[in-house]
Amino acid sequence: MARNLAQEQRLTGLMRAAQAGDGTAYSELLRSLVPLLKDTVRQRFGFLQAQDLEDLAQEVLLSLHKARRTYDPARPFLPWLMAIARNRMADSARRYARRAAHEVACEQPPETFPAEDPNMPGSGYGDRGDAEALAHALTSLPRSQRRAIELTKLREMSLREAAAATGTSIGALKVSVHRGISALRKALRTSD
Amino acid sequence: MQTDELIKRLVADLQPVRPLRSPSARALLWLALALSCVALVVRDKLMLLDPPQVAADARFMVEQGATLATGLAAAIAAFRSIIPGYDRRMLLLPLPPLGLWIASVGRGCAQDWAQLGADGLTLRPDWDCLLPAVLISIVPAVAMVAMLRKGWPPQPGVTLALGALAVASIANLGMQFAHVHDASIMVLAWHLGAAAVLSALGAWLGSQVLSSPHSPRLR
Repeated sequence: MARNLAQEQRLTGLMRAAQAGDGTAYSELLRSLVPLLKDTVRQRFGFLQAQDLEDLAQEVLLSLHKARRTYDPARPFLPWLMAIARNRMADSARRYARRAAHEVACEQPPETFPAEDPNMPGSGYGDRGDAEALAHALTSLPRSQRRAIELTKLREMSLREAAAATGTSIGALKVSVHRGISALRKALRTSD
Repeated sequence: MQTDELIKRLVADLQPVRPLRSPSARALLWLALALSCVALVVRDKLMLLDPPQVAADARFMVEQGATLATGLAAAIAAFRSIIPGYDRRMLLLPLPPLGLWIASVGRGCAQDWAQLGADGLTLRPDWDCLLPAVLISIVPAVAMVAMLRKGWPPQPGVTLALGALAVASIANLGMQFAHVHDASIMVLAWHLGAAAVLSALGAWLGSQVLSSPHSPRLR
């Protein structure tokens, strides 16, 4: 109990200093919050993978940064933080449910092409060799393009979310995705 | 992005910020600005009023009091809704004065109908009022949006609907002083109707007008 109170007071002091522009205090505050946020997210979304837990904790940190003006220094810090965390977790749950509603579990993927060859395991698309070629082509991309494709195409984040995660604008992200896809297409064509 | 890298970026982006004043203080500040604008636009009409006569009209005074209270309550609720962890019951704050406002206008309609029959409920367009209504609303609306954008609205639609209700209420207050003898049905249709339309627009455009907390981004 006393330990919790001491922690609350420490975090409140750090947040007040951060509002005044103290970068050292802000850094210490954010680093102190990471394990706390991960625990909170894990309690609610225990089924998420480690990377997804980390992403959600990062989203809360970004929201804290944006909302820091709304913190009243006369009030305790943790209830304010947890309100932000709850909001972001609810948003994440909605996103997860939306995604799950559009996914269908099946043992055998349905055929996707009228011709037989591309659907046969071991040949055409879906071939392990293709997956390796794609993975290899991805690693050859510049970091910004690879990151843009990973977030928008592989992890299916929206442009807005991906832009927030990378700290770039939506326009710059679109350019990276476009260039990355062109480079991948070229690389895969060459490897054929 | 790794969390360490994100923290470094957030720290690099850190600027000193002044914490927002309490929602009630911000609402009063906004109300003072909005009333000043209203008084400026309808000052000529206000000069023509006979204060004792206006004060003696109980129904008019109740209606105006309810309109003012609705504006203030909606502004307080809007400013509270941009603070993380606010009490959701605060969103209902404008309902009692809004109910009183609607009841008062509704009673006026019933009285007009009892005295004048169907003629008492004749609705006509009053386009002359449109320009003053827009002029009255512009500065309070811009100020409201600017003040709301400083916060963190988890439900931007609800926040902007409340802000729009506050603006429409205060604009109606001014328009009522400019048209003291308007029939109740005109107030019900045009004034309360405009408030309802503006609030619905606010609910619809909330996430576009107010920066959404769902898309945090470094400057």
